Amino acid sequence: MKKILLVNTLPENDLSVSNVVQALESEDNKVQVFYAYEKNFRPCVGCNVCWLITPGVCSQRDGYDELLKAYLANDAVIFLSGTTLNFVDCKMKNIIDRMLPLVTMGIHIVDGQCRHIPRYDKKFRFGLVYSGVADNEYLNYWMERVTLNFGGESLGAYPVSDVKGVSACI
Amino acid sequence: MHLVIISGATRPQPKSNTAKIIAAFQKGFEENGNTTEVWYLSDRKQWDNAKNAFESNEHILIAFPLYAENIPGIMLEFLSGLKPKHNSHTKLAFIIQGGFPEACQSRCCEAYLKMLPAQLGCEYAGTLIKGDMFGLGMVDDKNREKMLAPFVEMGRHFAEKSCFEKYVADAFATPEYMPEKQIRMFNMIGRHISKFFMGSIAKKLGCKGNLYDKPYESSVNNPV
Ligand SMILES: Cc1cc2nc3c(=O)[nH]c(=O)nc-3n(C[C@H](O)[C@H](O)[C@H](O)COP(=O)(O)O)c2cc1C
Repeated sequence: MKKILLVNTLPENDLSVSNVVQALESEDNKVQVFYAYEKNFRPCVGCNVCWLITPGVCSQRDGYDELLKAYLANDAVIFLSGTTLNFVDCKMKNIIDRMLPLVTMGIHIVDGQCRHIPRYDKKFRFGLVYSGVADNEYLNYWMERVTLNFGGESLGAYPVSDVKGVSACI
Repeated sequence: MHLVIISGATRPQPKSNTAKIIAAFQKGFEENGNTTEVWYLSDRKQWDNAKNAFESNEHILIAFPLYAENIPGIMLEFLSGLKPKHNSHTKLAFIIQGGFPEACQSRCCEAYLKMLPAQLGCEYAGTLIKGDMFGLGMVDDKNREKMLAPFVEMGRHFAEKSCFEKYVADAFATPEYMPEKQIRMFNMIGRHISKFFMGSIAKKLGCKGNLYDKPYESSVNNPV
């Protein structure tokens, strides 16, 4: 049984949420849902404290550390997002920007490109499910790039209508 | 020409590399009597003015730091609050600056920026990409001026063309990838120097721990 973290920026009562949870659970996964819609995590302020002053710990004490721990704890992370301007919603982009403490400031070169040295010995697996209009090809490309930066593997980007796709990849 | 410049950085203006780049760009752009106005999204009090400026001007440049392969969350929030223009000839250009040295790191974001103006009822006027900007605020004045000189030049270019021409932007963005030789040098010496450099900055800033600390190690593969 796989342990999956579902980071959800849709409102709690959005039908997509229960559909996605159901689809993930039907594959015998254990799903932990993190409702981020109400949390309003602040944007990353680029202060570099998590790299240079309290390594691995964000300077903003707004509960995001719970998510950092949950990324590490689970076998896979599915981001469930609304969309804006053909992309993920702003709450989700802020959540992704805030993942910086998972890597160190140190740089190494992987497949000819610079990457940050991961802070933990953890192979992240990140997938994206979105509700709304977006460019699927682009979101797949972006997920690939984002996961590369965390030394992880992308499970791809899927519209909610194709949530079976992501459960099959996990 | 009057140009509206919006900074999509989250860091406040005095600390932001984007702000320094904008200032250099303005210098070149304003040489022949062109004018600019700059709005910083890091300061929410400026958002209404930035919105009004977007609505009532036809030349707009958005400069921002690359954040997780795309625009920062606050910039996305700002843009998603804009009403798309109708029948406008507004040209929207971009400057992406990032920490990693290679231009290839910004191509994913650039692909998004190519789609973005159409959604706001604007025309795409090109993207400048520059990597290796992380240390811009940390180097001495002389080195900073050297790093910023190409942006002054790009200000002149934009004043002349009202856009970033592709061949100019491509030349400006180099290196696309780090050359083999540079990678070898980095692996041999560079990474040790940068580790030392980072360690000494951290010490100066009062860091008590190790830069590679794992504060949430006990959570790894261990859900509550
Ligand atoms: C949350 C966050 C994400 C970042 N993501 C990237 C990235 O994907 N690629 C990159 O080259 N630099 C990345 N950077 C580095 C910044 O783009 C770079 O340091 C920039 O110069 C900061 O500009 P500013 O001072 O205007 O914020 C990131 C920095 C932060 C804080």
